[in-house]
Amino acid sequence: MDFWVHVLNMILLLSILGMSLNLLLGYSGLVSMAHAAFFGVGAYAAALSARHLGLPFPLTLVVAVALTTVLAGLVTLPALRVRGEYLILLTLAFQMVLYELMLAWVDLTAGRTGISGIPRPRLFGRALVTPLEFLPLIALCALGAFAIAWRIGESPFGRVLKAMRDDERATLAIGKSVLRGKVLVFCLSGGLVGVAAALFAHYQAFINPFSFTLDRSIFLVALVVLGGTANLAGTLVGALLFVGLPEVLRFLQARPEIVDAVRDLVFGVLLMLFMRFRPEGLLPEHAGLGTLGRAAAPAPGPARATDWLSPSRSALGGAELPLRAEGLEKHFGGIKAADGLGLTLPRGKVTALVGPNGAGKTTVFNLLTGLLPPDSGMVALHGRDVTRLAPWRRVRSGLARTFQDVRLFERMTVLDNVLAAVPDQPGEHLRPLFLAPWRVAAAERRNREKALGYLDFVGLAHRANEVAASLAFGEQKLVALARLVATEADVLLLDEPASGVDAQWVQRILELIRRLAAAGKTVCLVEHNLEVVTAVADRAYFMDAGRIIAEGRPEELMADPRLGEIYFGKARR
Amino acid sequence: MSWGLIFATTKIFHFSHALTLTLAVYAAVLAAGPWGIGLPAGFALAAGAGCLVGLATELAVYRPLRRVHASQLNIFLASLGLLIAGQSAVLIAFGPQARTLEGFPMTGIALGPVAFTTIEALWVVASWLLIGLLMAWLWRTRHGRAIRAVASNPELAQCLGVDRERVFLLVFAVGSALAGVGGALLALRDTASPTMGVQPVLAAFIAVFLGGIGSIPGAALGGVVLGLAENMGGLVLPGYWQGVIAFVVLFVVLVVRPSGILGARGR
Repeated sequence: MDFWVHVLNMILLLSILGMSLNLLLGYSGLVSMAHAAFFGVGAYAAALSARHLGLPFPLTLVVAVALTTVLAGLVTLPALRVRGEYLILLTLAFQMVLYELMLAWVDLTAGRTGISGIPRPRLFGRALVTPLEFLPLIALCALGAFAIAWRIGESPFGRVLKAMRDDERATLAIGKSVLRGKVLVFCLSGGLVGVAAALFAHYQAFINPFSFTLDRSIFLVALVVLGGTANLAGTLVGALLFVGLPEVLRFLQARPEIVDAVRDLVFGVLLMLFMRFRPEGLLPEHAGLGTLGRAAAPAPGPARATDWLSPSRSALGGAELPLRAEGLEKHFGGIKAADGLGLTLPRGKVTALVGPNGAGKTTVFNLLTGLLPPDSGMVALHGRDVTRLAPWRRVRSGLARTFQDVRLFERMTVLDNVLAAVPDQPGEHLRPLFLAPWRVAAAERRNREKALGYLDFVGLAHRANEVAASLAFGEQKLVALARLVATEADVLLLDEPASGVDAQWVQRILELIRRLAAAGKTVCLVEHNLEVVTAVADRAYFMDAGRIIAEGRPEELMADPRLGEIYFGKARR
Repeated sequence: MSWGLIFATTKIFHFSHALTLTLAVYAAVLAAGPWGIGLPAGFALAAGAGCLVGLATELAVYRPLRRVHASQLNIFLASLGLLIAGQSAVLIAFGPQARTLEGFPMTGIALGPVAFTTIEALWVVASWLLIGLLMAWLWRTRHGRAIRAVASNPELAQCLGVDRERVFLLVFAVGSALAGVGGALLALRDTASPTMGVQPVLAAFIAVFLGGIGSIPGAALGGVVLGLAENMGGLVLPGYWQGVIAFVVLFVVLVVRPSGILGARGR
């Protein structure tokens, strides 16, 4: 009996670790190869503070959580590189350093010998000794960890994390800070590890470095991936398999020395096969228990209010020239992509940026939105200098863009794509998320209505619950437009809104752009299709070689033979 | 450099390079021990076995994954899977105990104040020889040029008629054979065990990132910097810090100059 309760306890501890890692790997697309080491640091922190400082159990847990939170936060120090192979390497380095220290810093950790005699926790005047006595405490903590991880993963903050996982640049472009997301999710993940670590130390009453090896980190990654990324129930299944499999083998009386090796072999082979045939894991993101409580499909109802489209609201305050850029310079090696470039965008009008390939049109967008820092020059938004402002902050002050290659958050639903872009969501902050859930819920209801309204505007409300990647290209462009409007920015930069799209969609997109301008939005678009430009633009800038060389009504510019020569190339004689 | 060559060309974070190394060393151990065909043949066998394991990995694991457009992360995870599965297979087949690679006469050599062993002398000679050969091959031959072309711009290389899949195979063959020889060299002094591949491959990761991704001479330079930092650091710091130094150096470089010592800026 005690034995099986012990197995259950280990499964629960492991699932806390798994959920912590799933927040990173599944929800945020960030790898950690150092989770076993974080676990070890937490366990040593609890053990040492209990033995040397005589702290009682709940306090040792606090110490462990504090330490692992800070440590995991340190990983995000080389912030911009926290992604892909850099992150693999960085966390591998953490794992190795911490493990070596556990082995070698004998004065503190007693090296290989480990620390024994870690006091049992006392609750209600009783010491917890047997696995059965421990079970309620561990189960309660596991439940708490599950609740926290679920609350974070399925909240507006979790939505930002998923957006970051699917596309970092697009996340900046909807006005959310990628850096904040990364730092927070690493710290939270570290904190959860600390909980499991303190419990483990007190439960085993003995720890040594060999529970915290690189292999452990690898297996943790494997169990999260096999169970299903971004699905917490999947992680529970993964932990069950990982601890359960060797016990079943033992039950079948396999030779004890090969039990663990067989488990490792099975896990390794499964991991390879899953990556090839079912990369989403046993329980995928958009199915099963892990999605419990996600909102159901919207009912097809009457057309939603479009009061945000009335000019009176967006025309409040501000100048008639919301965006002004002066003397923008940008060099790439010897190439001048922007050469003393200046432009203004008037309110309620559509301005087009035309010019031959390589004239620097997209570079202008990147300079205006801050994705590229200019070498010199100035960008003013509503009369305020924003040249030094981070890209996501510019979006918050009212300057947003779309991308030529759309860049939807592909693994999220259409509705979540738009919903993620709505500004000022209380659910993106941890305090209201846990302390004022009613406020978060109310805001979420409001924002869902808003987002459905934006989808209605582009005519795609009926596809709200489909995964974005499953939409046709033209529809994806419309979702991108809805997402842009959802940022509530009033200066909208559209990078080739109609390129690569069937004619029927083009008409619809142009109609929407006209309506946006009529509602008082300031629109600027880059477009190669001159018919589109004449159909929708009120005025146009003509660019060549990083400079603006002409300005006027589209028809005037197109009638100018000099510009025609630059655009279409000089006819050879 | 063998891992750097594979990573720079294929962009695969090939963790199971550690498995390639382990299997190759076991081949050498069997050749020099039970089979009794001698150490030189053992080295040749290590190169051959490494080459085969590398090719098999590319063909059976990575290529099918690329065909279904798996993400970099998923390919890395599959590589992890292969590593843990392979390690445990070795464990089940040969047992956990360490084995020695026999047959090389080890004696001490003293040149003035510098003392080292014949094995260390062999390491120095063999590694510089292999580095020299690899560089010459990469810079002087058609195949070498094709590899460098794919490493710097795969799409463009493909447009110019370089078959990417064949270059990948070539790189895995050469890189894995090198890893086999390197592993056998290491096993002369240390021992062979199922998990022996991980430590040297970790060192390789670090050397490659220190030197700069995509720069093959950078990987060699990174290795030298790493070795110096570890051993010089050991002179001034207490012993238990020695294993830590490499990773601290790496962390500092990743924070301060993420593209590595010889890497292109602004990657």
